[in-house]
Amino acid sequence: MNSLAPIGTVDKQLLAKLDSDGRMNLTACLQCARCSSGCTMRHEMDNLPHQLNRMVLLGLEEEVVASKAVWVCVSCQTCFARCPMGVNTAAMIDRLRAMAKNAPDRDLERVRIFNRLFLTLVRHLGRVYEMGLMVMYKVSTGDVLRDLDKMPMMLRKRKIALLPKIGCMRRAVSRIFSEACRRSKP
Amino acid sequence: MKYALYPGCSMESTARDYKLSTLAVAEALGMNLKEVPNWTCCGSTPVHFASELLATALSARNLAAAEQLGRDVVVCCASCYSRLAMANHAMRENEYLRAEVAGIIGQEYSGGVRVRHFLEVIYRDIGVGEIGAVVINRLEKLKVACYYGCLLTRPKSLSIAEDNEDPDIMEEILRAVGVSPVEWPYKTECCGASFSITRVESAMRLSAGILQMARDSGANCIAVACPLCQSNLDLRQSDIEMMTGESFRLPVLYFTQILGIAFGLPKDKLGLNCLVVEPDNLLAGQTVCKSRAVR
Repeated sequence: MNSLAPIGTVDKQLLAKLDSDGRMNLTACLQCARCSSGCTMRHEMDNLPHQLNRMVLLGLEEEVVASKAVWVCVSCQTCFARCPMGVNTAAMIDRLRAMAKNAPDRDLERVRIFNRLFLTLVRHLGRVYEMGLMVMYKVSTGDVLRDLDKMPMMLRKRKIALLPKIGCMRRAVSRIFSEACRRSKP
Repeated sequence: MKYALYPGCSMESTARDYKLSTLAVAEALGMNLKEVPNWTCCGSTPVHFASELLATALSARNLAAAEQLGRDVVVCCASCYSRLAMANHAMRENEYLRAEVAGIIGQEYSGGVRVRHFLEVIYRDIGVGEIGAVVINRLEKLKVACYYGCLLTRPKSLSIAEDNEDPDIMEEILRAVGVSPVEWPYKTECCGASFSITRVESAMRLSAGILQMARDSGANCIAVACPLCQSNLDLRQSDIEMMTGESFRLPVLYFTQILGIAFGLPKDKLGLNCLVVEPDNLLAGQTVCKSRAVR
């Protein structure tokens, strides 16, 4: 597949950062835009998925990492599922998001905050604690009032647990986080 | 038939009813589900923004624990299924990752277990014939829009159904209990997932489209197989009604709850009282046992 790549125009530096072993098949993109036409979040994107792919191949690191689209992506995997060339755009966007220090605006920063809090809870408790996640998210974003009205009903129906179930494996999970972070560092 | 069950975090909280009904239905079908000992979170979607190594390691720890049981791993949550199956695939294919992960989790694991979604297990291992034989109430009034969402059929290599754009195993299973599944084109559209917390308007727009299409296709309820899909379509339904000015009142049930009703299992064993849009009108006239012991 890689033989179809426009080798002369590919900036290998960014490509190597995103997909060092070539598993994402990024250079096979034909710019057919099938990913973009099926994209769940296309209405809210600045650059569409096939455009993000081209930006990556051209080595436009700063521009692509600052794209709103990288944070607007809902990870539905439709782009990858429908790509006739097997380009894993969904995985590429995951990596771009990991590269970005901040989201491009306050609105999208919520996505980053949510992900960070989610992982913090998993790191320390071993499992997600939904009630804790909601409280921490609300405090961190200042979005305290939204959905508060649903709480009594959810508690009545026992749809959300007040206290976390802490498994005995939380130390093991915390160790996995530390060890994975240490090894992921370039 | 013996399986290891990986419930996942949602099944202990917002999707308590999914776990209850899964256990009740499994018992009625003669399946033996044993929880993976000391299971921990798979990291869900947030973890793939962190690193592939962490994502794979979190799942591999659980898969290694399941391997001790020597059974296939059954997963009910679509997101957990996707994470565990993807990590399992990576552990089989990628030698470098395998070695790194072994160092991180402190044990060897090389992708030996099979990761399977409960829908697919019921369809392939139990079979629609066997389901038909257990039915007590044929649910002929139910016109169901079977909704799969994203991660049961994507990416293609992990799809629980052969046709990943138009899956039909949920339809086949529910047809066996007398339900009429509707034909509709939004089976694998996205509901907005965790954007229902971080980008509420986007998630509501997506979920509204699904509710509208289900209603316009003649459905009187929706069947789901994912905790987040259920919550977005059910818990948010009143907000969506306010946003669109339309009234849906479409109950959103886990496919396991529908099976349980058809098997005559008691209401409390299926967690039907957890549903926000209550299914009482839908089920009026269909016998729902209140006190019958689980078979």
